[in-house]
Amino acid sequence: MFKLLKEVLRTGEATVKYPFAPVEVAKDFRGKPEHQAANCIACAACTVACPANALGMETDAGAGTRTWSINYGRCVFCGRCEEVCPTDAIRLTPDFELAVAVKADLVRTAVFRLAPCVACGKPFAPEKEVAYVTALIEATAPSEADAERRRQLVATCPACKRAHDLGQIAGSRVVRAMETSR
Amino acid sequence: MTRHITETDVRAAGPFAKIDTPADVVRMKSALLKDIRRSAYVYRVDCGGCNACEIEIFASITPVFDAERFGIKVVASPRHADILLFTGAVTRSMRMPALRAYEAAPDPKIVVSYGACGVSGGIFHDLYCVWGGTDKILPVDVYIPGCPPTPAATVYGFAVALGLLGQKLKAETHVQAEGERVAVAHPSIPYNLRVLVEREARRMAGYRQGGDIAEKFLVMLEQPGLVPLTDRMSTFAAAETDPRVAEILARLGDVVTEAIA
Repeated sequence: MFKLLKEVLRTGEATVKYPFAPVEVAKDFRGKPEHQAANCIACAACTVACPANALGMETDAGAGTRTWSINYGRCVFCGRCEEVCPTDAIRLTPDFELAVAVKADLVRTAVFRLAPCVACGKPFAPEKEVAYVTALIEATAPSEADAERRRQLVATCPACKRAHDLGQIAGSRVVRAMETSR
Repeated sequence: MTRHITETDVRAAGPFAKIDTPADVVRMKSALLKDIRRSAYVYRVDCGGCNACEIEIFASITPVFDAERFGIKVVASPRHADILLFTGAVTRSMRMPALRAYEAAPDPKIVVSYGACGVSGGIFHDLYCVWGGTDKILPVDVYIPGCPPTPAATVYGFAVALGLLGQKLKAETHVQAEGERVAVAHPSIPYNLRVLVEREARRMAGYRQGGDIAEKFLVMLEQPGLVPLTDRMSTFAAAETDPRVAEILARLGDVVTEAIA
């Protein structure tokens, strides 16, 4: 009896105090992904990387907005979004207390505006993404003329770029001969 | 079996009538919660999960997390259960057994949807043979996300289900503010050098940790000072206690020296 009590005292208490006291979380624990919308450029790299489609991006061309969303209920906490994010806008936190009674509370959204194309004026890419890429190419451009050319390129929508290329090719009078010999 | 049905309820409902309007269900559930505060019997229904959720459920009733402190007990039959715990994405063949377990449990009962698959189908949400979540076939009271939820998350989820703790998450919407812009990180370091440093760190330490190490290194590079760059880099690497990180920092120093030369 005495021996048993001694053993009990020696072993101590194994049970953690949680939920009455915070529980110790392991280093690099992958918990709730926290999105800093102010740092996000809405490039959609995370939505492409997400294996469970917990992250989504919807474009409303009429309103000129793009809505980013995360569904914590579908997230598998793999951390791919964190890896691909070019601006560190999404990071996994050690927060694991995600249980909810209302399913709608598992969804978080962020609405971003689209920038208009300089040629046709139609919205085509997020404003913040265009501004970020412009800043980046200005920093890396070899000359001022080159920087201006690249700025125009970034601010033009793909359809206008294609139309412009067609015009260039038609104007350059490339002589084409039919392939006749065999 | 129904609980807390008074004589007047029965008289108002008439002979052979069921008492199952939404208001009745809410009232009976709150009465049930009051009754089972210190003794909640849980039956676990696997609707096609991968068993990771089951492992975590059993981890949460082991002595370390000891869910039995709160009277939570896992029982072997749905007929003994107050709380039904549904795991898995509800596959086509497990749909009927899940419904049978739900019907077998005495009314009123609390349904908890467990794990990413149970909450919304998780990574399997668009499979041809998957219903995609417990709430597609049954009314769910509490959702516990996670893949799988840790034992602590499980304990928290049960505390929410039993009304001991409130939920923390709230639906939020951010709308882009006027003039909101993202600045390029480390503007004083040439972009090509930054790419080289990040690539080398990630090659050696993996994507996430490599990125963190590169970030630390770039912050050090950016600091203005009169000390020569090579000396600063070597003291920074020498100050690191983890030999693996120190090796990577030394290699990053070499990358910068090569790029400058």
